[in-house]
Amino acid sequence: MYSPLRLDPAALMGEIAAFQRKLSAGMGNLKHQREPEYANTPRELVYREDKLSLWHMKGQGKPTAKTPTLIVYALVNTVWMTDLQDDRSLVRNLLEQGEDIYLLDWGYPDGTDRWLTLDDYINGYLDRCVDAVRKHAGVDAINTLGICQGGTFSLCYAATHPEKVKNLITMVTPVDFQTPDNMLSNWSRAIDVDQFVDTMGNIPAELLNWVYLTLKPVRLNQQKYVSLVDILDNPKELQNFLRMERWIFDSPDQAGEAFREFIKEFYQQNKLIKGDVVIGGKPVDLGMITQPVLNIFAEQDHLVPPDASRALGRHVGTTDYTQLAFKGGHIGIYVSGRAQREVPPAIHQWLSTRN
Amino acid sequence: MADQASDLLRDYQALAQHSWDAWTRYLQQQSAPSYAAHAASTPHYGAGDDVLARSMAALKGYGEWLHGAIGSGLGQAPADWQQSLQSLFSNMGGQPFAHAFGSLDSDAARSFTQMWQSWMQANPSMAGGFKFDVEHMAAFGYTRERQLQQQALLAAMQDYLAQSNKYQALIQRANNEGFERLQAKLAELADAKRQVESLKGLYDLWVDAAEEAYAQIALSEEFRQAYGEMVNAQSRVRQLQQEQLEAMCAELGMPTRSEVMALGKRMHELRREVRANAATGGTDEIAALRAEVAALKRQLTGKPEQAKAAAKKAPARSSKREQEKEAVVRRAKPAAAVVARKSVVRGATRTRK
Repeated sequence: MYSPLRLDPAALMGEIAAFQRKLSAGMGNLKHQREPEYANTPRELVYREDKLSLWHMKGQGKPTAKTPTLIVYALVNTVWMTDLQDDRSLVRNLLEQGEDIYLLDWGYPDGTDRWLTLDDYINGYLDRCVDAVRKHAGVDAINTLGICQGGTFSLCYAATHPEKVKNLITMVTPVDFQTPDNMLSNWSRAIDVDQFVDTMGNIPAELLNWVYLTLKPVRLNQQKYVSLVDILDNPKELQNFLRMERWIFDSPDQAGEAFREFIKEFYQQNKLIKGDVVIGGKPVDLGMITQPVLNIFAEQDHLVPPDASRALGRHVGTTDYTQLAFKGGHIGIYVSGRAQREVPPAIHQWLSTRN
Repeated sequence: MADQASDLLRDYQALAQHSWDAWTRYLQQQSAPSYAAHAASTPHYGAGDDVLARSMAALKGYGEWLHGAIGSGLGQAPADWQQSLQSLFSNMGGQPFAHAFGSLDSDAARSFTQMWQSWMQANPSMAGGFKFDVEHMAAFGYTRERQLQQQALLAAMQDYLAQSNKYQALIQRANNEGFERLQAKLAELADAKRQVESLKGLYDLWVDAAEEAYAQIALSEEFRQAYGEMVNAQSRVRQLQQEQLEAMCAELGMPTRSEVMALGKRMHELRREVRANAATGGTDEIAALRAEVAALKRQLTGKPEQAKAAAKKAPARSSKREQEKEAVVRRAKPAAAVVARKSVVRGATRTRK
């Protein structure tokens, strides 16, 4: 019988010895690495309320776009994924294309934010940020670029405040929360979220990080660090790795009440595509979104499966709907080399014909 | 019979004492290290220590796997590759998945584990398979309520153990199926006359196989139920522990979690009410009140003409005396003033909820 393993004992010993050498030589580099910085694109504070900050991002030249674009990130993790490092920055790329970019940083909720609801976030914070951008830019309506859960928020917002949204871009945004390949959805469905939130209060970021890691437990908890050994002797690659680790584990707690609502209404009851979501007394009907919509999703997304995003096309009311599939994952869509080449130009091109 | 009763009482007393000790130890353990771990996860990222700890734990598992591969005889007898592979993975006993789930440096998960271990240490009989017939034992005496709390907690802990075991059984199944998938992948390679030439190559192939097997189970209805029941059981334990802690805090005169929560909830309700009032014409009403106050001030300082003009701009009110009253109330309690004024306008004396 033909053996699929050609593992010569001497070669195996050599492989192990080489791994150990690389590891011991490289661990010193890891231990003495300085703290990795994000891209820190120049920015100006436009509005601040409670924990959130609204930033106006500054490019090298003046924006050529007439309508500003507000990036609305998820409550999970931080918005700095969009401005991770100099050569991997969605924000910087969009600025270079001539877009006028504002960025909403939700901040880190604490115990005083335990009772913030989706109404507080969407009809409160987000609406006031949109108003602040409109005022700052001197326009009646703006573009919103919603990412992941922030995309869901943007959809809810555009459906209930259509007069303030000119164009809507969604990236890796869940719309149908119960596609068969949605692991997070499967896990959340039998949880007594009322008891969970009543017990936990705010949901600790560490707990959520643990949940995300267990989506691909061996790959994310072991294989990733085994592969790290290969770049320990490359300072630039090591800094990039550490920067990404910083972002992954720089994560805010979730305000308990908003978490409860989001899990129950969206994940457990899948109300968004049924038109049953009501936020602050306002019904959210995706059919009411008549603005142009650009929906970008990642084909290898393990957090928001492509079908969860594609569903938007079937439910949104607009006749100007564009869908863009990106070959990559949930994170790669912002930071991979391919993303830098493909995503910002596509957004700019789409916006430039609609502003 | 009498002996049984006194044994039971002793058990209860011991249990209560152990519970208190457990809390004390738990709170002591919770102090600096846990807080430091949390602080390290905030935006101000520390050194590479966190990554170092994670990567070392992962590499330890990988290193053991490598050495296990050598010990299993892989490569020494190519014809027996299946047996060598079997030997490698059976010796590991599910270690890679155990690592992936067991050694996560999660503060939240760790705090529950610590809490759990404290309780187990406090109740050694439980750790050794404590068989308390919690459902059928009547509570009695002046500590009856506390006994009921303890019984509920014990029941919740037993339930958590049961649910956790069901979950772990699924993880173990994923591990076994991962190995079967690995064998299938290798068989496909053999059919195609292709070979894996390094341990890293074999490891990567195993990771693919393990993740595929895990994903299939993790997406199943069975996993959904097991996961939900485990989370719910853990929440229940936490809930009952919090209730006991609340009672202890209350006895010590300390503010409790539920009191702080209630304050926060009221604060947010009040904020929403203020915003809603402002959004639904409250702004105009406040402006009108401000105009009235300004008019009254001017009147008091001897500027009757301006005061008259300002008063004209304000909406019709019931009487000057009432306006003065409202102005005073408003200065003291803005939200209450709006309520009081609305009542006056309606000609009613009741307060609006």
